[in-house]
Amino acid sequence: MRQGTLSRIPITLRVALAMGALMIALGLVASQQVLRSLGRLHDDRLREIARLHVEGLSVALGPLVLHKDVWEVYDTLDRARAASDGQRMLFTVVADDRNSVLAATDPLRAPVDSDATPFSENASDLSGLTASGNAQQVRVRAPLLVAGRMVGQIVSEIDVGDLVAERKRITLYLLLANAGATSLLVCAGYFLVARMLKPVALLAQHMDDAGGAPSRIPESEIPKSDTELARLLRTFNAMTGAIDARAEAERRLAERERFVSLGRLSSSLAHEINNPLGGLLNTVDTIRAYPSRPEVVQKSVDLLERGLVHLKDVSQAILEENRLDRAGLPLRLTDFDDLKLLFEPEAARKGQSLDWQVQADTDDLSSLPAAPVRQIVLNLLLNASAAAPEGGSISLRVRPDNNDSVKLTITDDGTGFSAQDRDRLMSSAPVAPGGGVGLRLVHDLVAGLDGRIQHVRDAGRTSLAVILPKGRTA
Amino acid sequence: MKRRELIAGIAASTVLPSPSVLRAEQLFRLALTPVFLDNDAVVIARLRDALSAGMGRDIDLVQRRTYQEITGALLDGSVDAAWVCGFPFLQHRSQLTLLGVPIWRGQPRYQSYLIASVTDEAAGLEDLRGGMHAFSDPDSNSGFLVTASDLARMGQAPDTYFARTIFTWGHRNVVRAVAGGLVRSGSVDGYVWETLAAVEPELVARTRIVAKSEWLGFPPFAARTDRMADADVSALQRALLAMDRTDAGRAALDLLFLDEITEPDIRLFDGIAARMAVLEQAG
Repeated sequence: MRQGTLSRIPITLRVALAMGALMIALGLVASQQVLRSLGRLHDDRLREIARLHVEGLSVALGPLVLHKDVWEVYDTLDRARAASDGQRMLFTVVADDRNSVLAATDPLRAPVDSDATPFSENASDLSGLTASGNAQQVRVRAPLLVAGRMVGQIVSEIDVGDLVAERKRITLYLLLANAGATSLLVCAGYFLVARMLKPVALLAQHMDDAGGAPSRIPESEIPKSDTELARLLRTFNAMTGAIDARAEAERRLAERERFVSLGRLSSSLAHEINNPLGGLLNTVDTIRAYPSRPEVVQKSVDLLERGLVHLKDVSQAILEENRLDRAGLPLRLTDFDDLKLLFEPEAARKGQSLDWQVQADTDDLSSLPAAPVRQIVLNLLLNASAAAPEGGSISLRVRPDNNDSVKLTITDDGTGFSAQDRDRLMSSAPVAPGGGVGLRLVHDLVAGLDGRIQHVRDAGRTSLAVILPKGRTA
Repeated sequence: MKRRELIAGIAASTVLPSPSVLRAEQLFRLALTPVFLDNDAVVIARLRDALSAGMGRDIDLVQRRTYQEITGALLDGSVDAAWVCGFPFLQHRSQLTLLGVPIWRGQPRYQSYLIASVTDEAAGLEDLRGGMHAFSDPDSNSGFLVTASDLARMGQAPDTYFARTIFTWGHRNVVRAVAGGLVRSGSVDGYVWETLAAVEPELVARTRIVAKSEWLGFPPFAARTDRMADADVSALQRALLAMDRTDAGRAALDLLFLDEITEPDIRLFDGIAARMAVLEQAG
C-alpha cells in the first residue's frame, strides 16, 4: 500500500526526497557528534574547574582539618567564597575523618558537628563529574589528604547553569542551522535532480501521450549535452517509428486479407455467372429459331429476365462487398441475403449443405455497422467451408442475445482449429501472415466493435459465436 | 663570554650587604595587637607615618596572629614597644610599664560585648548555653576574659557551658563568625564592634548585642620597664601623647576613631584585674 503510494510520486520528487532524507540523517549524525564532543569538552572543562577549586582548597585545608580547627577552615572557605563571589562555587562543606561537618561556606545549612552524609552521598568524584544533565548545579566530593592520610573530605556544589544553557543554545543553533542547510540542499537537490531527470520526465510524457500511444519526441527537445539520455530518447524515437510501421503493416495486411477472402470467392462466383450465361445464350438461340412463335419468345424472354436479374444480384452483391468499408451503413437483413448469395456457390461447389437461420429483426441489427459485420461473417463462413469436408454441413445462426447484444454463430463439421489458427482468432499476440482466412482480421474487427468470440468444439462440430453489443450505430 | 661576565657581575652584586638591611637594624619596632585594624593597610600606614614623624625616625609596625606572640615579642625584646590588651599587660605587670592610653569617645575605657545573630532572641549569657561560642583570643580581655569570668561567677566553664568554643584570632573575625552563622554567639571588643559598625555596616548589621560589660581600661601602649630610659622609647611616648596635635597624628587617630592618647593611670585596669581574680579563683 505504502509502496504503491510511493511509486505514484514522480521520480524527480522521489529522488529529491531520498536525498533530503539522507541529508537529514547526515545532519542528525553530524549534530549528534558535535553535541557529544561539546558535552565531552564541557565535562573536561567542568572537571578542570572542579579539580582546581578542590585541589586549591585541599592544599590549604588539609592541615587545618587535621587539627580540626573550625575557625581556620571556615575562614579559608569564607575567603575563598568571597574571592569567587558570583562564580561557580555555590557551597562547600568540609568534614573530618568521621564525616562530621567542620565548617561550611553556609554554616546555617551545614552546622558545625552535624552529619555531612546528606551532602556527600549524592556527590560525584572528580573523575565522574559531568554537566550532561539539565541540573543547574553539580556536587563534587574529594578526599582531603595530609601526608597520604585521609583526614576528611570536601564537598562542593558547583554552578553549571551557564554550561547547561550554553549547550542548550548551541543545540538549538545547531539544529536550526542544520535544518536550514538541509532544506537548502534538499531544494537545490530537487532542482538539480529535476533538471537532470527532465529527459526522463519527457520520455514518460511521450510514452503515454494521447491516450496510451507513444509519440515521437521532437529533436529540439532532446538535450545536446547528455549523451546517455539523448541516446535513450533517440532509441525511443526509433522504437515509436517501428511501432508506427508495424501498425501500418498490420493495417495493410488486414486490407489484403479482405481481398483474399473475395479472391477465394471469385472462382465460385465465375461459375455462378458462367453457368446461367450458357442457359441464357441457348434462350437467345431459341428466340432466333422461333421468332414467329410468340409463346416460345415470351417464355424465353421470361427465362432471360430471371437469369439476368440473378446475374445483376450477384454483381450487385460483389459491388456491395467492395464498397462496404466506404459506406458505413447500418446492418440490414438484406446484408445477410447478399452474404448468402455470395457464399452459397462456394458451399455448393463443395457439395456442402448450408443451414441459414437469420432470426433477428431490423431493430436488432441496425445498431451494428454493416461493413465489419459482413466481413466477419463472410470470413468465418469461408473458413468453415474450408474446414468442413466435401458434403459436410455448415450453419449460420443470427439472433439477439440478452437484449443488449447480437449473437452470430457459425458452425461446421470440420476437424477443428489448429492451435496456431485459434491464436490468430482468439488472442492479440503477434502472428505471421497466412493460415486461416482472415482470422486475425476477424479478431481485430470484433475487438473494434467491443465484441467477443467464443469457441466451442463439441460432438465433432466446431462452433464459433461472435457476440456484438448493440448501441454502436454506424 | 660576555653573558658569563654579566651573570658573574650580578651574582657578585647580590652578596654585598644592601643599604636596606643596614637600615632595618636601626628601625624602631612597635607591635600591634590584632584589633579591628589588623587587615587595614591604610590605617597601619597612617599610624606609622604619624609616629615616624613624631619620633623623627622610621619605625616598623609589627603584626602577629595572636596576643601571645605580641606579648612574647615585647618581653624578649624582639619589639621595642607594643599596643597590647589590658589583660596580657596585667599578666606581665611586673615587667611592663604603660606609655599611654587611647581616649575613645571621651574616656580611656571600653566595653566587652556579647553578641549573637541579629535573629537570635537571647537576652543574656544564660540564654546562650549549649550553642557554639567564638572568642577572639585567650589573652584578650574583651574577647575572652570578660565572658570566661562571667561564667566563672556562674560556676561554669566555657568548654562545658557552650557546645563548642573556637578562637578566631581577631575581634573582626568574631563578628564574621557570628554574622556568617558559624557560631551562635561571640565575645568581642566593644570598640571594634562600634568601629566596624561605621566601616562595615552590612557585616555588623547581621549581629546584635546581647549584653555589654562594665567599662574597662582601654588597651594601652606599653614597653618593657627596663627599657623605659631608652631615648627611643621616650620619643615614642612623646609622639603618642602628641598625636592629636599633629596633622599626621590627627589623621591616624581619625582613622582609628580615637580622640587622643593620654598619660596612663594604672587604676584604669582595676576592673580587668578583678575579673582575672575571679577566673583564678574558679580555676
